[in-house]
Amino acid sequence: MESIEALVAHIQVLSSSVDDISHLHNLLKQAEESLQSQASRLAPFLEQLDPSKHSLGYLYILEAYTSAPIQTEQASELTVSIANFINSCLAEQIRLAPDKFTSVCKRFKDQVLLLQAPIQGVGPLRTAVRKLQPSSEQLTALHPDFLQLCLLAKCYKTGLCVLEEDIFEVDQPKDFFLYCYYGGMICIGQKLFRKARELLLNVVTAPMSTTNAIAVEAYKKYILVSLIHNGQYSTTSFPKYTSSVAQRNLKNFSQPYVDLANSYSTGKIVELESCFETNREKFESDNNLGLVKQVVSSLYKRNIQRLTQTYLTLSLQDIANTVQLSTPKEAEMHVLQMIQDGEKFATINQKDGMVIFHEDPEQYKTCEIIEQIDLSMQRMIALSKKLNTVDEFISCDPIYLAKAGRERPRFDFDDFDAVPQKFNM
Amino acid sequence: MASSSSSGLTFKLHPLVIVNISDHYTRVKSQEHFAPPKTNGDASSSLPSSPPRVFGCVIGVQRGRTVEIFNSFELLYDPSTDSLDRPFLEKKQELYKKVFPNFYILGWYSTGSDAQESDMSIHKALMDINESPVYVLLNPSINPAQKDLPVTIYESELHVIDGIPQLIFVRANYTIETVEAERISVDHVAHLKPSDGGSAATQLAAHLTGIHSAIKMLNSRVRVLHHYLLAMQKGDIPCENSLLRQVSSLLRRLPAIESAKFQDDFLMEYNDTLLITYLAMFTNCASTMNELVDKFNTAYDRHSRRGGRTAFI
Repeated sequence: MESIEALVAHIQVLSSSVDDISHLHNLLKQAEESLQSQASRLAPFLEQLDPSKHSLGYLYILEAYTSAPIQTEQASELTVSIANFINSCLAEQIRLAPDKFTSVCKRFKDQVLLLQAPIQGVGPLRTAVRKLQPSSEQLTALHPDFLQLCLLAKCYKTGLCVLEEDIFEVDQPKDFFLYCYYGGMICIGQKLFRKARELLLNVVTAPMSTTNAIAVEAYKKYILVSLIHNGQYSTTSFPKYTSSVAQRNLKNFSQPYVDLANSYSTGKIVELESCFETNREKFESDNNLGLVKQVVSSLYKRNIQRLTQTYLTLSLQDIANTVQLSTPKEAEMHVLQMIQDGEKFATINQKDGMVIFHEDPEQYKTCEIIEQIDLSMQRMIALSKKLNTVDEFISCDPIYLAKAGRERPRFDFDDFDAVPQKFNM
Repeated sequence: MASSSSSGLTFKLHPLVIVNISDHYTRVKSQEHFAPPKTNGDASSSLPSSPPRVFGCVIGVQRGRTVEIFNSFELLYDPSTDSLDRPFLEKKQELYKKVFPNFYILGWYSTGSDAQESDMSIHKALMDINESPVYVLLNPSINPAQKDLPVTIYESELHVIDGIPQLIFVRANYTIETVEAERISVDHVAHLKPSDGGSAATQLAAHLTGIHSAIKMLNSRVRVLHHYLLAMQKGDIPCENSLLRQVSSLLRRLPAIESAKFQDDFLMEYNDTLLITYLAMFTNCASTMNELVDKFNTAYDRHSRRGGRTAFI
């Protein structure tokens, strides 16, 4: 039980080399309770330490300090000092005590939210995420917090840069669910519907032993996003890797959305709008109203798309009539929007109001295509290697072997005599 | 027994002959394992350990000082008379004459590591058909260090040794000569033989390996030239204008085709091949993923045991 001053002196001395750091780490672990008990007195000691050199010690003291309730007038200074700490700390030292770091950052986030200034937290949390991750493929507990702050502060672009990396390793399933859910919402905000759909699909199909609320919300958004992006959603089939729990229960919680999807598939605006009106309160209570409005407007685009498969040229008046738009002007706006987004290749002749639809002018004859395909192939090779390692890993998993072994009796005895029928560890 | 020939004849050997001789030898040798004493042909295999010797006749055309050996056929060797089966040879010769009227019997072939004394008697026996027959000898032992073909051509010359004029074998130089059509067909035959009917995958792999080694060789040759030119530029080697002229004429011949249409077609085909490879990789990846998902479902999903679980392999 050392006093705080002695501890501080130790920190200052022992923060230089790797062996010293591990020694210091042990000391700090032993001194944890004493730190906790004197939490309120710790503020002046923090000033004696330099966060960029004594990161580990600073972290312990800071964590103990923040575990005690903070008065509001100190809150803003605290956020500033925590932000400084995050920006200047050393990543290697931090990674020795990841859960302390995570709890400090979570408290930081709470403070920032209390102060109603989420944007202050975005930058520091991004640095925190980068420093905590041992590799860019690992999901940390801070990812969902960071994304939540981005959503609340409406800085979607910063959130996107973290979403760009593919995650391959996950520690806590709850982190994963939240990460994908918030990530999906950020992508919807940026109108990247394809990526949003992928992320939301991840939440829906992630292994879960019981239904959880995040998955239900994600499922509702997933239906809407796939309607906007693909123009269709088959309500009956889930992918093979969805857990059975999800398959059975998710639909029950999101009946209005399923109805919306069904009326969308008929292609008639009138039906869609009536369905929309009937379920309006439910959509509003789920905060999905904006998304549903986008779904309704996307139905027009979908119908125009369908027209291009039948007609080569069409007049704007005809488009308006078929798609049930009120004026040719609106039809022109829609087609113009689609051409600009690159979804359709067409030319509008304004004199006689005709639209001519073209084929995709891409000839696939250029060197850029070669580069693109080459890049895709390399990504595919890397992914294939990872899949193979996971496959081998799961083939050796005792749980799997036990279950697979139980099915053996159905086959010829002499085919499989290598694996015992009951696999005991 | 072997010094270089002084007859001044140029010998040209076609690859078909080499393939024939090696094929004959291989057949006899492999059948030897099944039926030791009676073999299909002629092998005078006295001891089972020594490789059998096969014999045959080579035919071709002799124009002036050039002897061109086109083809060959097998002959029976009679160990009792120590000579080749004469009536059979004549019958074969008649048959070949009908198809190839230009071809004459130029000599005979055998296998072994070196020419032997007993071969001389066979050689003399053939002298009444062709006054100066050739003896083609194939060495069937595989020597990975050897770079040249294990085929030697011997002529007979009258030399005076110890006061007695004797016929001895002398080595002759030869070149390999081929016509386009022959090259293609021999190539085809030679490449199909090693893969035992092989699946598409092994044939594709063999084909790609061939192309890969060809490109590697081209690369190394170009590198040698490049190195040489650099050294010449630096002044380490004296400038040799004739070589430089050859290099420059070679360079002017490249690129072989240059036009917009060629670029288009070439890039399109290149992209197609890339896409097919991509598709193959995709399928491979998807299949791994599918297996993985199946295993995962078996292991961890408690309630998914619907009826009719499929085999887990």
